[in-house]
Amino acid sequence: MKLSCIIVEDIQIAADFLRKFCEKSDLVEVKGHFLNVADALDFLDQEKVDMLFLDVEMPGANGFELLDRLTYSPMIILTTSKTEYAFNAFQYHVDDYLKKPFTFKRFQEAIQKLQQKVAVPQTPANTTPTPAPTPAATTDTDFLFIKAEDKLIKLKKDDILFLESMRDYVKFVTPAKNYITYSTLKNMEEKLIGLNFLKVHRSYIVNINKIDDIRGNTIYLLGNQIPIGKGHKDEVAARLNIL
Amino acid sequence: MQNIRTGFVFDESLNAAFLAELFEGDTIYAETVFEDFLRDIPVYWERVETAYNNKNLPVLGTSVHTCKTLFGYVGFTDLQELCQQFENKCSVNTVEELRLDYLLLIQRKERAQHIIEKEYYRLRQFNGSNG
Repeated sequence: MKLSCIIVEDIQIAADFLRKFCEKSDLVEVKGHFLNVADALDFLDQEKVDMLFLDVEMPGANGFELLDRLTYSPMIILTTSKTEYAFNAFQYHVDDYLKKPFTFKRFQEAIQKLQQKVAVPQTPANTTPTPAPTPAATTDTDFLFIKAEDKLIKLKKDDILFLESMRDYVKFVTPAKNYITYSTLKNMEEKLIGLNFLKVHRSYIVNINKIDDIRGNTIYLLGNQIPIGKGHKDEVAARLNIL
Repeated sequence: MQNIRTGFVFDESLNAAFLAELFEGDTIYAETVFEDFLRDIPVYWERVETAYNNKNLPVLGTSVHTCKTLFGYVGFTDLQELCQQFENKCSVNTVEELRLDYLLLIQRKERAQHIIEKEYYRLRQFNGSNG
């Protein structure tokens, strides 16, 4: 199966190389090339793709700002000639990081890794995939079960402060303890978003009853600071009755 | 990539091993990239000069960053390192303090551009005679 992608890159030579590599690999279909973040976002508002090749330093806005504004989570390959972005890349859960200029061999390694991720349900070595929250979570109950610490743990929804995406895992943060379960934020979003839970960033879902205050683009919640993604600002304002 | 030809030897000041891996013997594509480099570098370098003259260090750093990427695609990996050092200095030094580094960068860029011009014509000749 070919992965659909767009290239967000302001240097033409770099974009041409990427396009050529995509064609050569026959694993990736390029839906478009954009020289800046604004044009890429316009496209992504209309059409979803499987992955982005995303440069970081571009005129106007940088690649991380695009990630802040995205309202869904495609796979991301950062393409940059600076290694200093590695920490940000980790924070934004990017799937791979290609330092420009990179060879076809390196490109192919990255794509094959993503293809495996798509083709095979993500199973950590020698473990059984967690059924995320059990069906109890999808019914109208005030609790859910998550698989963590080799058992099914019952969590009261009202005890959850927020959920944080950790690539193929999700961290449930409660006042007493944090739990990490094998699942995706998208999966949790489908099960939890409702009256009390709100996705405020591509990596965070918060329990709105637990919010202490909001300063600028940051939610403060029992000593924790959660960023509000640009693409989520309007929904946050609407849901929290911000006047 | 198609159009694989063997026998073209890049100028010794370029990172030949990296270029061999990057182009995988496709000298036709190498010719295109070298041509694109010669088309693009004056445009990006003008931004460097403007930023330097305006003492706009953030833009100077970003503009050198772009040139650095371009130098990489034509095999000037050592010049990439020089650009990286200059880029880093843009965030901690004044324009006056950067003067000597800037002059060195101009000198190296001019030399690099000259070499790429020669390599581009050699590639054209090579591809023409092997076409």
